[in-house]
Amino acid sequence: MTNASGGRGRRTWSRFGDVRRRPTPYEVVTGGFHYHFRRDPVPFEMDPEWTLNKWYLAHREGSPFQVADWEDFRDPAALTYRDYVALQHDREVYLDALVDRHEESGSAAALDPGWVDTLRTLFVPLRFPLHVLQMTALYVGQMAPSSYITNCAHFQAADELRRIQRIAYWTRVLADAHGEDLARTATARGAWEDGPAWQPLRRALENLLIAYDWGEAFTALNLAVKPALDVLVDEVFGHLAEANGDGFLTELCTEFGRDARRSREWTRALTGYAVEREPALTGVLDGWVATWRPRADRAVEALADLFTTAPRPLTPTEVTTRVHDTHDAFLAAAHGR
Amino acid sequence: MPRLARSEWYDLTRDMNWTLSYVKEEEAWPAELSDGFGLPAEAWWAWDEPYKVTYPEYVHNQYGKDASVYAVNAVVGRSRMYERLDPGWKSAILAHYGVIAVPEYLASLGESRMGRFGRAAAWRNMATFGALDELRHGQIQTYFPYGLLPQEPRADWAHKALHTNEWGVIAARSLFDDMFTANDAVSMAVQLTFTFETGFTNLQFLGMAADAMKVGDVDFGALISSIQTDEARHSQQGEPTIGLLVEHGRADVAQRLVDHMFWRSWRLFALLTGLSMDYYTPLEHRGRSFAEFMREWICKQFLDQFRDFGLEKPWYWDEHFLPELDWYHHALQLGIWYWRPTVWWNPDAGVAPEEREWLERKYPGWNDTFGGYWDVVAANLRAGRPEATLPETFPMICHLCHIPVVAPAGYLAGRLASPRPYVLDRNGRRYVFCSAPCRWVFEQAPRRFQGHTTLIDRFLGGQVQPPTMEGALAYMGLSPEETGQDATGYAWAHAAPHGRTGPRD
Repeated sequence: MTNASGGRGRRTWSRFGDVRRRPTPYEVVTGGFHYHFRRDPVPFEMDPEWTLNKWYLAHREGSPFQVADWEDFRDPAALTYRDYVALQHDREVYLDALVDRHEESGSAAALDPGWVDTLRTLFVPLRFPLHVLQMTALYVGQMAPSSYITNCAHFQAADELRRIQRIAYWTRVLADAHGEDLARTATARGAWEDGPAWQPLRRALENLLIAYDWGEAFTALNLAVKPALDVLVDEVFGHLAEANGDGFLTELCTEFGRDARRSREWTRALTGYAVEREPALTGVLDGWVATWRPRADRAVEALADLFTTAPRPLTPTEVTTRVHDTHDAFLAAAHGR
Repeated sequence: MPRLARSEWYDLTRDMNWTLSYVKEEEAWPAELSDGFGLPAEAWWAWDEPYKVTYPEYVHNQYGKDASVYAVNAVVGRSRMYERLDPGWKSAILAHYGVIAVPEYLASLGESRMGRFGRAAAWRNMATFGALDELRHGQIQTYFPYGLLPQEPRADWAHKALHTNEWGVIAARSLFDDMFTANDAVSMAVQLTFTFETGFTNLQFLGMAADAMKVGDVDFGALISSIQTDEARHSQQGEPTIGLLVEHGRADVAQRLVDHMFWRSWRLFALLTGLSMDYYTPLEHRGRSFAEFMREWICKQFLDQFRDFGLEKPWYWDEHFLPELDWYHHALQLGIWYWRPTVWWNPDAGVAPEEREWLERKYPGWNDTFGGYWDVVAANLRAGRPEATLPETFPMICHLCHIPVVAPAGYLAGRLASPRPYVLDRNGRRYVFCSAPCRWVFEQAPRRFQGHTTLIDRFLGGQVQPPTMEGALAYMGLSPEETGQDATGYAWAHAAPHGRTGPRD
């Protein structure tokens, strides 16, 4: 076909090369956006010694987590922005309806005061650590070497914001039913800053904030800290809520689990992609997991004590075993072993 | 719907600020990624976004917006609308896609930098939405031109441009890397969201959306106006950031950051929007001129907002900026049309007789200044000497904005006191600048710019091989089929009244 420019039409972006398979709509708007990765001589069109050039050269190009080409990685969910907001629009409609149901039935007011005490110490402060997961996912996104990876990380960060906001909403509902102190910043921040049960987690997450090598940040977040915390919150805490007659939080945690599963799936896909191309990266990933998983484990062990205070409690061993076993299974799958 | 109003619970989504215990503040918010400019960490916790939105609201709204924009594209894609568009307008949108599509995506990295290194949880949340918005803008502005590829191979530049060393792309990368991709979070809030988005692109997008609808480009109009609604929200991260800097005695920082980026934005804006509005948009669909648009919208709104913070207008405002509104983009138009093989779109001369009347009306004296050069070009074309209207050498390029130096045209138009570029000798190297403000920006932050090279430096340094026009075009990523040609096949020259100036000897 000729055209007004006098040339022949194209089937796809020239950057994709001579592709035999027609790129999918997902690939068309996702692949090949990070012109700055491994750009010669430096990532950005500024002084080669400029701080951000050096930062990216050190923490992205200089990371031990490297393969020859990241552009063949694909998000297993193949999410574009349009797909992501469509998906989460549907899920939020579902959650809106869930909230409606429980507001109409007044289920928050009917909760056992003993369970509300557990919520005060275990549920209400969660927005602080989950916010750090959001922050770190955004760091992974801005440092990732391919836009295929960046987008997964950015959607994951948005999922954390989603979880935090639903927790915040319900914290307000609980406060209306059981006392204003539940909604005071000091209640959550105090536990986060000074509560002994929260300190190992805070230590792990503050250190996660300064894990600046992009591969280490990805591994520490998505293979070590987040999977443990996701199981602890979405599954074990959800189970505790169910045992204590809290139908709303049971269902809410199940819903959070959908986002966590999507995170685990792209994480597993990315580690599989990397190790398949560079088998030696297994050692790199294992090394980081060996550093970060014990930190996550200590955090879970400390928080497990709070599960014992519920009217229908879980023992610390029940909590840690459940988290540990699920985390083990995930890591085994992620390492392709 | 859930019973609680947003205002009843929103603060619980934005109070996640705490005092670090296990790592140091400067480790978690290092100055190169988040310059706090000396404000105490807790001072930033008062950061308060003027526009509130929750996650459920966000996905519900955005789902609806995307559905309607993509529906327009689906309908238009089945039509023959694109091929019926005016050639000048096609050039305007191809230039736009090349310079804007991927940089918008890259702005999502800037937003995620603010989402990680912003100094308050509320700010980090807004930036998280901003990262999603910019991801949207990158995807939607590549999806639309992708659909044009079968009929318009130049649409490839929507995706390819930022990977090339085309001179305009170097200028764009230099600006956008300075503004967001390689900027710290605090400076970025002032420079990207306040200065560039609030100051320029919000208005540009409103203006272009209106123009697109008038031209009949429903596709582009729907796209641009939908993007603008996102920009209007996330651009508001700048205001509270400036507010806190001013409140804590760092108005000097805010002033410097804005002065720096307003000038740089103006440079690119004149190139992209100035040419589109005054030369590429079909005459019958033009409303106000670029200078009128700048004065009525950009200048007025910007000054109003800026003064609200107790800041001063930039030092170069009266002496350098306002006078340029009447000549700078005309000089760029002349240069870009002349060096047309070095761009990926087909420059529209936009100087047919009736267009010249419009230019003279909007810019009194245009005929006697810039019109004179076009007379020579037109005469050469009518004499069958198009080679005399094509470049054999390269222009001087500014070491700050990377746009060719057009001061001689400004001087000959009687607008500048000297045709000479501004020079700075520093550490054994000579830098040239197109203007006093470009030199000033460089001198404010030499560490950002000093070791960087222009396209001309690279040419003279042997990086461009062979060192010919053909070698330079190849270095810029332009294949012979992609180099720009006159958008109308010189129809305008043959429509021109004969005789004002003879062909060049």
